[in-house]
Amino acid sequence: MKATNRTLRAGTMLAAAFTLAIGFAGTASADTTLTVWDWKNGDPVTADYYAAVKKDFEAAHPGVTVKYVMQPHDQYYTLLGTAISSGQGPDVVLLHGGSQAKERVSALTKLDDKVADIKGTVAGWDEFTGADGGLYAVPISIQGFAVYYNKDLFAKAGLDPEKTPKSWADLSATAEALKKAGVAPFALGNKEGFGADFFLSAVAANGWTKAQQDAWTKGDLKWSSPEVKAIVQAWVDTKGAGWYADGANSTAKFMDEYESFERGENAQTIGLISDVAHWKEFDEFLGADKVGVYVMPPIAGGDGSLKLPLAGGIGYGVTKFSPNQDLAADLVKSFADTDHMKIFFETAGAIPANTKVDTSDTKSPSAKVILAWLSDGVPLAHNNMSTAEVEEWHRQSQLLFTGETTVDKAVARLDDVQAQSKKK
Amino acid sequence: MTSTMIAKETESRQPTAGRRSIFGNNAHRLAYLFVLPALVLVILFRIVPLIWGLGYSFTDYNGMSTPTFVGVQNYVAIAHDPVFLDSLINMLILLATLPIWIGLPLVLAILIHQGVPGGKLFRAVYFFPAVLSSVIVGAIFNMLLRYDGSFNAALKAMGFSAIDWLGNSNTALFSLIAVQLWATFGMSLLIFLAGLSTVPSDMLEAAKLDGAKLMQTWWYIVIPSIRPIIEFAAVVTTIGMLTSMFGLIYVLTAGGPGTATTLPEFLIWLEQGKMNRPGYASAISMVLFLMMGGLAWIQIRIMSKNADL
Repeated sequence: MKATNRTLRAGTMLAAAFTLAIGFAGTASADTTLTVWDWKNGDPVTADYYAAVKKDFEAAHPGVTVKYVMQPHDQYYTLLGTAISSGQGPDVVLLHGGSQAKERVSALTKLDDKVADIKGTVAGWDEFTGADGGLYAVPISIQGFAVYYNKDLFAKAGLDPEKTPKSWADLSATAEALKKAGVAPFALGNKEGFGADFFLSAVAANGWTKAQQDAWTKGDLKWSSPEVKAIVQAWVDTKGAGWYADGANSTAKFMDEYESFERGENAQTIGLISDVAHWKEFDEFLGADKVGVYVMPPIAGGDGSLKLPLAGGIGYGVTKFSPNQDLAADLVKSFADTDHMKIFFETAGAIPANTKVDTSDTKSPSAKVILAWLSDGVPLAHNNMSTAEVEEWHRQSQLLFTGETTVDKAVARLDDVQAQSKKK
Repeated sequence: MTSTMIAKETESRQPTAGRRSIFGNNAHRLAYLFVLPALVLVILFRIVPLIWGLGYSFTDYNGMSTPTFVGVQNYVAIAHDPVFLDSLINMLILLATLPIWIGLPLVLAILIHQGVPGGKLFRAVYFFPAVLSSVIVGAIFNMLLRYDGSFNAALKAMGFSAIDWLGNSNTALFSLIAVQLWATFGMSLLIFLAGLSTVPSDMLEAAKLDGAKLMQTWWYIVIPSIRPIIEFAAVVTTIGMLTSMFGLIYVLTAGGPGTATTLPEFLIWLEQGKMNRPGYASAISMVLFLMMGGLAWIQIRIMSKNADL
């Protein structure tokens, strides 16, 4: 019995030693793994794009494994904040352009030297540029706000489906015609306040001058200034004029608003040009020949031209704590590679940040119109607000709809928040 | 067993001065051993984060850069933050509904206990929502309460106007409270049923023989008998009201319209998760912790006082 026990004990120890030895050996010769965090790689429509990036990068870098980790979108920045504060986690992270990226530049590697060779071919850098002028992420898509409309419902209201509003007066007349035909002019979801963000950026785009847009970005153009207050007033007035379907404050923009538009319940919606709620999605539901798109005209001001409000949509950056800085920078560039971006455009319908992607074989009439606009865009106003300001605008926009506040009170409150954010 | 063995066994169980340690005798050590895993978990996942949170609350920590000590600046800011003050008012409105949270399951539990027909079925039906996660409950009620949802369809069918249950400040918070009450009262009901099973049946029979009416039996016998259970349920429910509404708020209203459904726990998430201000969020957490601690202390004091009577 004792002999058996001794044998068993010795065997167990040997097995343990062997396992440990294998473990250490394995560790010593382990492949380098680049961990990528985002909220998109599990989406079926992006599967081909991510598979291509992984395959090509691993083939070009033997011994390196790309590991995608998809995080829930609504918890993404909470999880990322935890990773950043602990100084460990992903090598590469996906970020929204604008405040979400800019508020995290201290945790990201400055990429100027590493992306110098692609800077000229990729667009949308502004949204990922830090206060120091450095580039902190490589944009992979261009994002913008366009008004999509249902051509059948325009025709039902006696409107020419090929003629789009060019001024605020045109837009108001269109809304009146649609209302008379019993059609809600716009689908609107403002449960989280996103409807108000889209309205602000879409209306401000061609009404504000370049100087005013710059002042807005710096926090110098106040909410109580005539240019901004006019938009807040228009938000209330359009609600009063019956432009929106009822229940906007309890309707989620993503995706209740868009599903309502796709069901043909409303004539128009302010949508995106990439990711979701965009031309590809609407084409699939309504039929490509039934979807039209135009740029929201301003309430006043502007030079008469209508430019698409757009910006670098989403982009990949390298975390400062990544032990594989050069490899991670190469991977980030690989996401924006022309061939990969072509797949991204064709399968996900995202407007690629890489300007060399050949989009000439696009069939969608809406996509063709959007692609033609990309060369000359204007800023997305809400992207240049602090998160505190964005949250307060969400709240005030809802209270303006319920009638619990006035435009004067709302802009005064927003001025305070804007000033506090600027101080920081 | 011989007398010598019995003596040794008895001796081994007796605590002796020489063998006594700070952990007491063997029985005590065994008890500590059983408590240890739970204690370690509580310390690791409750006490340590609490202390960290307290530390962060005195900093300007933004989740990325090194925290800088800012003294009580966050607490001063909280006192002037209109969103936080609104969330406190919402919390007080929520707390004011506590009698319903206790009264409803209590009445139903008494009815089931007194043998209402189909009692077992009702017990199962009432408890069922308690096993659902708040996100699932939220998704269900989102379909029912949204403007073009089933409730409004029913109202319209009856000739009434639709109500924006979740998008109107006058109805949003009460809609949330009603949904949370529906989702959780089954747990209180079970607690009360367990308590009611301890009420002596001879007392109830004696009351019946003495001609006591139903309400008199409830008021003078049943409720006093389970008073500690009611008080326990009140403490647990209060804590649940202040800490378990997040999922529902997140799914149903996102804290709006305006701040109509923003409770402190949701605001903590907003500041931490969306506004990248963990330092400020920690300060709000500390304030919420103190308020909950205060409420629980008052309720436990009342319980102890009644227990002495």
